[in-house]
Formats: sequence, C-alpha cells, structure tokens
Amino acid sequence: MAVLDGARGGGGLAIETRGLRKTYRSVRGRSVGVEGLDLQVPVGGVHGFLGPNGSGKTTTIRMLLGLVRPDRGTATIFGHEVPKRLPEVVGRVGAIVESPKFFPAFSARRNLRLLADAIDAPAGRVDAVIDEVGLTGRAKDKYKGYSLGMKQRLAIAATLLKDPDLLIFDEPTNGLDPAGIREIRQTMRGLADQGKTVLVSSHILAEVEQIADTVSIVARGRLVAAGRVADLIGAGSATGSVRLRVAPADLTIATSVLETTGLLVRREHDALLVDGAADPAAVNRTLGERGVWVRELTPLQADLESVFLGLTAHETPGGHTHKGDRTKRGGPSPEPAHAAAPAPTVEGEA
Amino acid sequence: MSRLLRVELRRLWARQVTRWACVGVLALVALSGAATYLSAPPPSDQEVTAAEEAFAADQEQWEKDGEQQLADCEAAAEAEGLTAEDWGCGDMAPRIEWYLPPTQTFVPDEAQDAMLYGDPDVNAPDDATRAAVAEIQASVWSGWSGLASLDDLAVLLLLVALVVGVSFVTAEINSGSLGMWLTFEPRRQRVYWSKAVAAALGTVPLVLVGFALLVGASYAVYASYGTLGDLTGAVWLEVAAFTGRLVAAGAVLAALGVALGALLKHAAAAVGLVGVVAWACVAFAYSFGEAQRWLPTTALSAWLQGGYVFTTERCTPDADGVFECVPVDHVVTTAQGGLAVAALAVVVTLLAVLVFRRRDVG
Repeated sequence: MAVLDGARGGGGLAIETRGLRKTYRSVRGRSVGVEGLDLQVPVGGVHGFLGPNGSGKTTTIRMLLGLVRPDRGTATIFGHEVPKRLPEVVGRVGAIVESPKFFPAFSARRNLRLLADAIDAPAGRVDAVIDEVGLTGRAKDKYKGYSLGMKQRLAIAATLLKDPDLLIFDEPTNGLDPAGIREIRQTMRGLADQGKTVLVSSHILAEVEQIADTVSIVARGRLVAAGRVADLIGAGSATGSVRLRVAPADLTIATSVLETTGLLVRREHDALLVDGAADPAAVNRTLGERGVWVRELTPLQADLESVFLGLTAHETPGGHTHKGDRTKRGGPSPEPAHAAAPAPTVEGEA
Repeated sequence: MSRLLRVELRRLWARQVTRWACVGVLALVALSGAATYLSAPPPSDQEVTAAEEAFAADQEQWEKDGEQQLADCEAAAEAEGLTAEDWGCGDMAPRIEWYLPPTQTFVPDEAQDAMLYGDPDVNAPDDATRAAVAEIQASVWSGWSGLASLDDLAVLLLLVALVVGVSFVTAEINSGSLGMWLTFEPRRQRVYWSKAVAAALGTVPLVLVGFALLVGASYAVYASYGTLGDLTGAVWLEVAAFTGRLVAAGAVLAALGVALGALLKHAAAAVGLVGVVAWACVAFAYSFGEAQRWLPTTALSAWLQGGYVFTTERCTPDADGVFECVPVDHVVTTAQGGLAVAALAVVVTLLAVLVFRRRDVG
C-alpha cells in the first residue's frame, strides 16, 4: 500500500494498522470482519474511511479503541500500540462508534458530567462543549427524549470533552435530516481546520467527498484503495466519458457513427453516454461531419462514488457481515460502475 | 481508581433503579409496620376476662375431681411402663397462662415460646454441638417475636441490594454506554472494580437505613402496645451485630450482582439465576445431607443469624437388618457462613473480571 502524502510530508501518522484481522464466531461458523487490514491515517485533515456495509469499518474502529480484540496484526494511534498502550493515548482520542450511546434516563449535562469527571476535565468544560454543539437550551432534558440529531450532537460534545487531537466518527450522519448532515459535516471540517485529525467512516460518499482530504476504501475487510480524494477522482476521470444529446431522430445514427470509431455508447433516456472519449471535441467533430448536430455535450467528471463503486462492485458483503455492521441501514448498493478505478493507489498496483 | 469510584457512586445514586429501590424499601417499612400493628396487639380486656372465666371454671372442676384425674393419669402411665412425670401427670393443674391469648412481644419471651412450641428438640451428637445449638435457639432472632420476623424481612433488603448491583452494570451494557465509557477509560480492570466497589458501598446506606427503619417501626408499634418484652442492652447489642452483618452481606451481594450482571449481561437472567439457585437450595436442602452446610442459603442464614442449625438423619441397621434412623443436628457457625458467602462472591467476581477484561464490547 502506498504511504499517504501526509505521512510522507513529515506530519506522521495518526493511525496505522498492519495486518489487522478479526473474525467472529457464531453458530453458523466463523466469519471474517477484518482481513489483514493495512490502514494509514495521516495527522491533520479529514480522512474518509469508506466501504460497503459489512466491509469491516466499524470493527476496525472498535479495535482501535480497544473495544474489540484483534486476532492478529498491530495498530497504533500516534505511535502508541493499541490496545496495549491505549491508556497513554486515549486522552487524545475522541470517538463516536455507530449510534451515540448514553444513559437514557440522565440529562445531557449529567451524562457529560460523568464522563468529564472520569477524565478529570476542567470545571466548565461540560457547559463549554454543550454550548459548542448548540444544546445549551436542552442540556437539562433527558437523553431519551432527544431527537437523533441532538443525540449525535451530544455525542460530538462528549468527544470534545477531552479536547482531542484525533476524532473518530463512525457513520456520524446516519438518520440525520439534510440540515443535520450539513451541520455535522461543517463541524468535522471545522475540527480538521483547527489542526485536529478527523477519521470519518461513512457510506454516504458525496458527504465524505465534500470534506475529506484523504480516504481509504475497504471491502471485505481489506484495503482496496487509499490516497488523496483529488488523486482518486483524477485517476477515475482519465478514461473520459461524455453525455451528449442530439435530436431524437438522430439517436440511432449517432450511436452507430460513434461505435464505428471504437467508442462505447449507451442510451440513457434521451441522451447518449459515451465512454472512452478522451477528447470531447473529437466526438462533436465526428458527429458534425456526418451531419448529426450535437445539442448538448457534457464531459463527465468522475466522483468518489464512481471510484468507490468501481472498486467495490465485485465485493458483496454476503457471508461477511458482522454484528456491528448488520445493524446499519441504508447505504449504496454495490452496482456496476462505469468509471474506472484510480490506478496509482489501488492495492496491489501501488 | 478513586476518581472513577466517585463517578460511579454518583451514577449509582442518580439511577432510577436506585431511587425506586429506596421507594421500595420505604414501602416495605410501611407495610411491615402496618402488619405488625394489625397482628400484634395485646389481648383485649374482653379476651382477658373470657380467659379468666374459663380458667376459673376449669380450676373449680380441678378442685372437684383433680385427684381422680391425677390417679387416672398415673394408672395410664404405669400401664405404658412410664413414670407419671414422663406421662405428663405433674402438669395437669390448670394455669392461667394456658387460657390467655398469646401476646407477641418485640423481644422473644422464652416462657411463652416454651409454652407455644414446647422445649426445642436438640439432637446434637456431642456437648459442643449441643451448646452451640442451644445458643442459636436462644437467640433473639429465634422464636415468636417482633425481632424474629424482622430477620425474614432483612432478606428482602439483600435482594434489593442484589438487584441494584445487577442492574448497575447490565443497564450500561444493554444501553451501549459501556462502549462510550471505555473510550474514556480503557483500563477495563479499573472500570470493573470501580463499578463493583461503587455498588457495594452505594448499597450500604440503603440496607442500613432500611433495616434501621424496619427495627424502628417495629419498636414503635410494640412500644405503643406496651409489649416490648425484656429489652436489655444485650438485645440492642445483638441487633447492632445483626445490622452490621446484614450491611456486610448487602455489600457482598451488590458486588455479586455486578459480577453476575457482567457475566450474563441481562438483569433478568442474573436475578433469575439467583432466584432459581436460592429456590433449589431451599427446596432440596435436605437431599444434600451434611453437604447442606456448603449451600449459599445455609451460609447466608448462618452469617446473618449468628449461626444456623440443620438436621440430618443417621441411619444404622439393627440386628434384623432394619435400618433405624435418628435425627442429628449440625451447626454452621457465623464465621463459617460468612467465609462461604465471601468465597462464593470472590470466585464469581474473579470470573467476571476475567470475562470483562477480554470480552468484545458491542
């Protein structure tokens, strides 16, 4: 696996795992949660941790936090081996694993007060973080009466109690409305801009694409790609795809004209998707020379989703689910993608 | 550790279960006081008058034909090959206390107990055991009295302590907040001990105040009836010693509850297991023979009551090969009972620590 630029640049690694493996035993036999995962998260910025449901994201995070014991492999946080030396570094790590979990009958303030006292946080820290996440008006309400968005904000407040250098958010926007999603996104970006390292696991790729500086993509418990978002997307767009519209009567002839030049053409409603078109102008010229006038021509930009789907399309999670990920809802179906994988950073090629 | 302990103690006392436990204990005190008030009044003047009239009538009859009755009794004894004393002929003259309704007192009334229950059977194999049995049977927690009935209610306080301990850890496991907690303090052994010690210490005031209120309510009722009995300083010392043992047992059971909760993860499973084991120990105790002394229920009773007596049968074949069985008393001392309860708690706790350290947290 390629070493991420952040680490090359001297910033070091906030998280590193080598050959991390975790299997689960059940009555149906043994299933693999994480299989030899090599993960590197550079210090600073937002690092997206992507993968389909059941790909081992939550299990990996649990192993980093000492909640789950790996079968083998090593993991470090800021150079401290975990879980062995986790107590030395846990004060620098704030984490939300899956959905926020607090004592339902306690108020937000009491929940945070208990956590703050456990780490001997300074007086006033609780109110400060409650204020920071905008829950001051509801701080005395019982946690069980909170909406999902408020619970998520409270969980973020809990992670901030330690003023951590590394924040780990596992599916932080699950179940949130659009406004809540944007708020969480801005919070994560803001934390990274303060110099903190944010690891966010998610299957909502558009969201990660907007805030992540680097990403790691896992499937079936293995790392399949990692690098800067821009690099991954850039590699994906190298194949060149365009969407074009012509008069409805010209659709058939346009298809045959382009296919004769070796391009791959597919109908998409009243438009044509053309793959392998390195130069969009050449497509326009070819059709014009045959008397077919292009009404609209859009070069398609590869996005993180297309890269992700391209890498994980063949990785079905069946038979590799685990308890942590089975509970999740939603997420993209791994359908065949039309964009190619980013060649330079794909595992086995880097 | 002390910081975690303080936090856990605060959490314990902020929990709804703990508050409901307090309400439950207060309800128990109120019910116990009301039940005592209704069940333990001294005989009314009418009852006393009726008893005196019945006694006077029998006395008059005895004076008429008492000698004949005595002679008949002695003849019957002789026919059976027994002495008149063994046949009960010396105790035939009517006595007023036989006619008066029994009066329950706060402190056991030995004379009344002897009249109600007869002399206690002692089947001790040796003098030391005989002395130990006699001492236990003479305890203020034996017989028919207000204090003796509190002994049974005290077990309910122990049940409350157990439930508080169990739910203290299972609620955290089932709500998932244990995972959040461990991201703040990943040293699991510390986390476990802070919970166990908090449960043990946190239930001390609950059991202590609960039992003090039970004793106080009972005392108040008997005092209002003027039936406290022979309430000496020695009795109060016994009450104090019992309270101390009860509080210690409550702390141990709360810690045991934490251990069972950590092992089984579900409150119903943990409390249900304790219930089944306790029921089986009581229901089938006799089947265990002399091994009864190792049963948790026997050990707990011995610890609380300052010793426990159980009886087994020793059967030997006679010349014809027919087995003849005689009852034999066995004594479990306070120390033996306490050690057995403590040993059980230690074993379960160590197992729980081992599991808690290694188990994956969801």
